[in-house]
Parts: sequence; C-alpha cells; structure tokens
Amino acid sequence: MPSRTPLPKPMHRLNYTKLTEAQIGAALAPVAKSGPAHASPLSDEFVGQSVKIVTDNGGPALDYKFTSNSQLTLSENGAKPVAAGYGALVMDDICFFAHLIPGTLKGYAVVIDKPTRRASVFELWFGGFEDKREVMREIYYGYVDKAGADAPKDRHVSTNRAEGKGWFWKQDNGWETIDYWSTIAYTHWVEVSRKAEMGFSAPADYIQINEDYYIYTRTECEFSGTFTIYVADLNRAEQVGMRLGFDWGDALDYYVFRGKGEWLGQIAQFEKLGDVAGGPMKPNPGGPGQGPGAAAPTAKGARAVYRPARTMEKLTAAEVAAVKTSVFPGRLGAGNGTAGMGVHALPAVDFLVGKSFTLRYDSGLVMDYKVSKTDELQWRKNGGTWTTAIYQAFEPAPGVILFGHLLEGEPNRDGHSIVVDFDAGLVTCFNGYLNGPYFANEANARTLFGVVEMEGVATPLYKRHQRTWDLVGRAITWNYQPGLSSMHLYSTPSTTSWIIFTAADAGGLEWSGPGDFVKIRDELYFAYWLEEACNGTLGTIVVNMRTMHDAGIGYHCGKAGGLSMSTVGALGRHAGKFDVKRFFDSSRKG
Amino acid sequence: MSEESISTRRSFLKGGALIAAPLAVVGAPAVALAADDSKERLARLEDEKAIRTLHQGWMRHINSGDLATAKQLHASDKSTRALDGITSVTPDHAGAPDEIMFTTDGRASATYAALVETETMIAPDNTLAQMLHAQGEGRVRTSERGRLKADYVRTREGWAIANIRFERA
Repeated sequence: MPSRTPLPKPMHRLNYTKLTEAQIGAALAPVAKSGPAHASPLSDEFVGQSVKIVTDNGGPALDYKFTSNSQLTLSENGAKPVAAGYGALVMDDICFFAHLIPGTLKGYAVVIDKPTRRASVFELWFGGFEDKREVMREIYYGYVDKAGADAPKDRHVSTNRAEGKGWFWKQDNGWETIDYWSTIAYTHWVEVSRKAEMGFSAPADYIQINEDYYIYTRTECEFSGTFTIYVADLNRAEQVGMRLGFDWGDALDYYVFRGKGEWLGQIAQFEKLGDVAGGPMKPNPGGPGQGPGAAAPTAKGARAVYRPARTMEKLTAAEVAAVKTSVFPGRLGAGNGTAGMGVHALPAVDFLVGKSFTLRYDSGLVMDYKVSKTDELQWRKNGGTWTTAIYQAFEPAPGVILFGHLLEGEPNRDGHSIVVDFDAGLVTCFNGYLNGPYFANEANARTLFGVVEMEGVATPLYKRHQRTWDLVGRAITWNYQPGLSSMHLYSTPSTTSWIIFTAADAGGLEWSGPGDFVKIRDELYFAYWLEEACNGTLGTIVVNMRTMHDAGIGYHCGKAGGLSMSTVGALGRHAGKFDVKRFFDSSRKG
Repeated sequence: MSEESISTRRSFLKGGALIAAPLAVVGAPAVALAADDSKERLARLEDEKAIRTLHQGWMRHINSGDLATAKQLHASDKSTRALDGITSVTPDHAGAPDEIMFTTDGRASATYAALVETETMIAPDNTLAQMLHAQGEGRVRTSERGRLKADYVRTREGWAIANIRFERA
C-alpha cells in the first residue's frame, strides 16, 4: 500500500526519478510471477476454470486458465500461453482480476459482470510516455465467450453519469482517499491517509457497468504515474480494485484491494438534459499544456492529458528582473476594455479617489496610500519614499474595496491584491511575489491580515479577517466571457482546483494548485488560486455568494506580457457542495 | 474603380467555378440591351434574379463551409475579409423583405434580413483558455439577427460582390 509517510514536498513539487524501462522491468519481474499484494483474501471464483474474453474493434482475445487463486496462464490472440501471478476479488456479480505478464512491462486488469458476461479489459503498460514510469492504459470492451451462447448485444460504456460525485474511500489496507469524480475525463483526489493539505488532478475513466456499478480509473500523470482502478458499488459504497505504479520513493505499489466508503455528495452537471456522453477527450498534439510528447489522437491509449509544467514559460531571475510591466491594460481612461478573464468584470470604481489611508499589517508591514485618480495612487512602504503606481479598484460589496497594484522597486517584484472593508476597518492582502524556489517567474503568495487607519474609520484593535472553511467542498462555475468558463472546486482548506468545460458543457480537463480563503463578511470571501508548476499565475478573487459575481485581480510574469496585473471577473453559479470538511480536521483519527 | 480593374479577380476563374456559381448566364449587363421601358424592366428583373442567385450561391458556399468558393464570388480579395469568422448565414424570414437597389453607374446594393453565426477564437492568453485549446476547443460561436448589406458590381463574367457586411439588429 502507499506509504503513509507525509510527502517531503507537495506532490507537484516532487522530483520523481526518471525510471528506465530496465529498472521498471526489474521491479516488476518478481511480482509478475507471484501476483499482486492483497490485504483481503483473494477470490477463488475462477480457480479451475478457463475464461475466454473477446473484445471489440481489434482488441485482444484473451484465453485464461486459472490454475489457483494466484496463478493463471494467458494466451493472447492465440499465442503460446504464459504463466503469471494474479489477484481476483469479487463484489456480488462483479469479478475483478489483475495480472502482469512476466518478461514484459505490461499487464491487464479485467472487470466482468457475471450475469451479462460483459467485460472491460484494461491493457496496462509502462514505457509508453517520455516518463517511462507513467502507466499507460487502453480500454477494450467485450464479453466472456460461452460456447453455444450469443455474444451480449451491449457493452460497458463510458458515460458522464458518474460526473460530479464525491467519495471517501478506505481500503482494506487502511489507505484513505477522497475521490472527486469531477469531470468526464479527469478526477481530483486527496490523500487523506497522509493528511495531505492539497488535492491533485489527474486523467480518469468513468465506465458504467449498470445502474449500480461503475469503473473508475486514475493515472497520476505528471506525478508518480501510478494507475488506480476500481469498481464502485454506488449504493453500498464498496469497491474492489488495484493499484500499480512507483511511489515518490520509487517503491513499487502493486496490490489489489477492497474498500468501503462514503458518498460525499453530488454537484450539478451542466450538459444538456439527457446527454450522457462520456470521455475521454482526445489529445490535441501541439496544443498548449500538452507537451511535445502528446500522443496522436489515434494512438493506442491516447487521451487528452494536461501537462502544464512542460509548456510553462520559465524565466531566470535575471529575466524576471528585466521584464517590463503591464498593469491593467485596457482599463485606463476609457474604462472597460479588458479581455480574457476580465470581460465580465465589475466596473472599476473611484471609491478611493481623494482618500489617504494606512494599511497596517500584523506582519509589521505598513503601507501608506494617497489616491489622486481613478487609476493612479501613491504608496510608500514602512515610511519610505512615495511611489506612483497604476491601480484599479472594484467594489464587490458596498464598502468593500478590492484594489491592486505592483510595488515597483521591490526585489521580488511584489504585487498586492488588497481587500479593504472600510466599514469594519479591516484589510487582507494577498501579496504576490516572484523569485521563489522553483521557477523565478512563478508567483508565490503570502496572506497578510491587518487594519485600516483613516479619518472616519474606527480601527479595530483585536478583530481581524479570518481564514475560513466555508468554501471547502463547494464548486462554483465562473463564466469570464462567452465561451470561457471554468468551475472552481475548493477541494481542501488549501486547494483550488479548476475545471474546464467541453463544448457540450461537460467537465473536461482539470488542474489544481494551492488556495487560501478568507472571510470578509457573511457570504463574501477573498480567495486565491496559485498556478504552481502550471503557468505561474496568482489569481485573486472576491467571491460574493449573494450576487454570484466575483471581482478579481491576476498577477503573472511571462516573457511576452512581462510582469502583469490584470482584471478578473466572472458570473458565478453554485454547482453544489461536498461534505468533506470533517476529513481535514486535524483531530480526526484515520 | 474601372470595370477592367474590378474584373481582375474573377477573370482567372475556371469554367467549373462559373458553373458552380451560375453567374455566367448573366453575361453582359442586361440593362445595356434595353431599347424601351419594357426592355429596361425586363433587364432589371433579370439583374435582380442574377443578384439573388449570386446571393443564394454565396450563402450555400458559406453554410457548407466552402469559403474558398464563396470568396470567388467576390470582386476583390479585400472584400472577402468580411467573411472571416462567419460560419453560417440563414435568411431571416421574420425580418424585413429583401431589398435590391440599382444605381445609375451600373452598380447595385442589397439588404437581406439574416441570421448570421460567427466563430471567434478565444485567445490562449490565460491558463483557462489554454486548457480549452488543449481540449481542441477554444472557439465560440454566436448567432445574431440583423441585416446583410451588400454592394454589387458588374464584371465581364456577371455580377460580383463588391462589399458585404453584417449589421446587428
């Protein structure tokens, strides 16, 4: 089972070993013969039987002979049989078994529902991507051949019927996860056993067996490359499955498992009513975020996999120091001319014009402001010299102002996205800065709490804005402009995951990064997402759950656009909420 | 612009293209044949018919995605820029009747009530848009009612589109 040892870094920051095919083969060799590890007893369902599986569309014909509950022979397409270790588990009418093929880097996982004889065959192999440790998969639908009987007319089917469900699972070996079945082609999961702070996103398959049973797969692409498959009984919240891959310490995980879980909720789907089409999406080689190694759409196992760190623009510290700035382009003078994620932005306001005030942060930072124009202010840090900066201000709720500006001259090219509640005298700042430990142009963020000192404002002594878990488990769609929408899934108290919709408004690609969430007022939250190991953007938004409109500011550094601060704004819809907060309580016993 | 200069784009058309766009039947300007009022009216009707045929052919090529052939019905490359992003044009039968007007300099203009669908690419300048493009998407189609306003000129091969633009309702 996976180690419960906390990861030394977040998963997206681990430097996974580039295992060679020889290293992988050496690790697989013994277990290919002995079969997968298991905590629950293996099933003897097939012992003494021969099972022939026929698959469609040129897939393999698999002739199995099960000599014991851990040994089988397999003839692929009539070839000479080979002996292998296997593990089988049965859940009511569902039989699941998995095995590797000795002397190769491949194996099969097979799901059969006995009453109908329909089967789904998952061919699995290492070495198919530039990271050899990433498990590849191809799915073949078929059936168990039975002499004298007709082939079943239908098959297991990829579907969106699983989309939007959330599950907590505890395997028989004690391993716990939260699995968000968040799109038709991606999943988001949280390793609860490790008390992980963040969740991560990976390509997935969702296949319907019948109304009760679904097959789920996950390949931890861009992380360890590990493959997980299970059949879930949705009503009983039980699972049988298998995990295959190399963990961050390069130890082989290869085991079959049973599990029990809890249904955590169902969020909304946005496809046209009656549309049940599933994934996966085909790859778009050469497209952004695909990487040069993206498979051709017709390649075996091909599907769209988002690999953003491979295509992210990376700058050196010297380049970061040299890039020009671009602050709220299109918003100056003539008003709203913004594009991209700002088409649906709130209008800029002149609330701050003519005001002078001090933001005194608990960190010790003191920022003085004098605001002369709608888009120009002067700031000084800790009593230093005054600097003029371009800014924009928005009023996401009466008396609550979001404004942002860059801090020219700061060595890490800081930007402040600031929410001031002038009624309460409180301020929270998401302080973006560059030159972090990984990529120099990648935004980092710190959250600063403090108070406002201004004539006419009662400055609190003790009260502050507070971090909140109010958003944890919620999903909110955001429409930034016609055709450009996403859904945020606030999957843990410190994760923002974002989902892109397909043309049919199904959930498609998904990625995630660190997030922070501060309560400003009831139903008014200041949140960020940080595109770590992705595109390096810090996105900050004030989420107004009453108006379902956000107001935001983006902070990004790249070659073409330089260091930029931009307007963000979108129309929201509440897609629902998963019941997950309790899993992140530090007093919870696993 | 002389008639000679506006005929240059279509002068290279092969016979097949002309057959596909049945303008060849228009031939020499019909008005020139008019000897009395009835002949003028007849010629006017024939010109109207030719322009309607030209417009219907243009719509058919647009709607079938054959922009290359649609562009061959234009008098100049410059005027084909108006087609960028248009994916379909449908007559709006709930709109005002079509109008075709002729000018004394041998030109014509027309207004058609239409439903126009356009497709624009969402610039991949942010992570979300890039993910859309990674999915093979990132284009947005919008459909709007309005008026197509077209100007026509005569060429040696017949009427051609000098300019066409869409005005939202």
